[in-house]
Amino acid sequence: MMRRILAWTLCGSLLSPLILLVVLSLARHWTWPRLLPAELQARQWQDLIADASTLGPIVLRSLGIGTGVAILATALGFFSSRSVARHPRQGPLLALLHLPFAVSPVVLGVSLLYLFLRLHLAGHLAGVMLAHLIFAYAYAVILLSGFWTPKMRALEEMAVSLGAQRWQLWLEVLMPLARPLLLVCLFQAFMISWFDYALTLLIGDGQISTLTVALYQYFSSGDIRLAATCALLLLAPPLLALLMNQRLLSATVVTALEAHGG
Amino acid sequence: MSNRRRVDPWIGLLVVLTAGPLTAGMGFMLLYSTGLIGLLANGFTLRYWARVLADGQTWISLAYSACMGAISLGASLGLAFTLQAALGARLRAGALRGLLFLPMAIPPLVAALLSVELLGNAGLVARLAHAVGWIERPEEFPTLLYTRSGVGIIFAHVTLVTPFLLLLLDRLARHESVAELEQVARTLGASRWQAWRRVRLPVLWRACAPVLSVYFLVLMGAYEVPLLVGAQYPSMISVLIQRRFSQFDLGTRPEAYALASIYACLAAGLLLALFASRAKHRVLERAE
Repeated sequence: MMRRILAWTLCGSLLSPLILLVVLSLARHWTWPRLLPAELQARQWQDLIADASTLGPIVLRSLGIGTGVAILATALGFFSSRSVARHPRQGPLLALLHLPFAVSPVVLGVSLLYLFLRLHLAGHLAGVMLAHLIFAYAYAVILLSGFWTPKMRALEEMAVSLGAQRWQLWLEVLMPLARPLLLVCLFQAFMISWFDYALTLLIGDGQISTLTVALYQYFSSGDIRLAATCALLLLAPPLLALLMNQRLLSATVVTALEAHGG
Repeated sequence: MSNRRRVDPWIGLLVVLTAGPLTAGMGFMLLYSTGLIGLLANGFTLRYWARVLADGQTWISLAYSACMGAISLGASLGLAFTLQAALGARLRAGALRGLLFLPMAIPPLVAALLSVELLGNAGLVARLAHAVGWIERPEEFPTLLYTRSGVGIIFAHVTLVTPFLLLLLDRLARHESVAELEQVARTLGASRWQAWRRVRLPVLWRACAPVLSVYFLVLMGAYEVPLLVGAQYPSMISVLIQRRFSQFDLGTRPEAYALASIYACLAAGLLLALFASRAKHRVLERAE
């Protein structure tokens, strides 16, 4: 009985952030000390939709950056991960891949800004994408190196001994086998870019506005209702993925374990 | 015939995309912070480094970041261990199975926003306190955000990290057959508490320690959460770096670069030490 109560309490606390965001995004007057808003309205959503000329391009830009980064990171990461998994110095390479995460996006952003300014990449979409790619690519290689098991090597050798060309090996053997993991990688790499704030702020030099930047602006201007509405937009892709396929999010746990030999 | 080994282009790409930006960034930071490049460049000087190293705020901020990272991780781990032991297989059943993934869909920026709405003086917790008659006015509610104690930072991080650790521990428990090991301990006469403390805890701790070390570094360098709910002073290292970097006075920029260089070296050093010690452990395990 106690376990059941604990499980339901945990379920409630896990759901509460989402409920709070929805209520905030629909609240009209929510004055102290009311526990619930006196009135609900769709005004915030209407404002966001009416502001489509501003927010629309921001959402599209965020989606574009995320999609581009995800495709590049997954494609490059797939090939690199094979080399890493079979490299005699796999340990140091994995350490190298973890460096961007350990050093923090702010430090990396600050350190790269001067270089990006020199290369005329700061304040441009390409610069922001390249900065996101550093993190997304490292993550993709860590995630995908788990695919290259001894069994996969045996399959590769079998395909080659049966006369498969190099392109056939990749397109007809390896990629179909890796497809579920590649999907997970695409999604996770997209999320790295979609959720980023610090790198976009620094490398974007205030000229590239994404959904996270917009959310921060609403928040710092004191408009919590619009910030909550914006937050729900930010949560939409991962929540959709969670509803469709839990595996897309559970990969985070698997990657953490595999990368650290758990 | 050449004996030189061909460099794998994919490993080359990996080095270029990871070590490249870090090395280039580090190089530029060192040049900028020593007055060799930048708008205020007047030739080599260690003035900015001396100023940053002598500034108490540098060390306070580093220590504060480490404390916030350690407390957030410790609290999350304690909570995850307790919930995993209490709920066991229930974590993989019913609604809980899917809901545990929900916080992974929440970015730190949104977690900080939610912390404000929950823990603020007129937030939901304060309203609940009013509803049960503990307080009359918002000012009577203890200040939890923007304080030195970092309650807001810890709360937001614990909210984000605990479900991840819970899933991790659950997976590890199955991978390491902890339930079976505990069963053996119980049949050999161990009490439930002894089985938990002497079997489950050390096995899981040993298995998840490397992930936790990396997580500690990530939390230590956190930016969005301390920016939104952290105190002005002391501030976490990422916030301090960004603040000095973005100040109107360009004279603080070389100092920001010096500070960022110190933190980058520290974090990279810790990470490399972690991987080196793990490699050493593996070699010793194989030798045994």
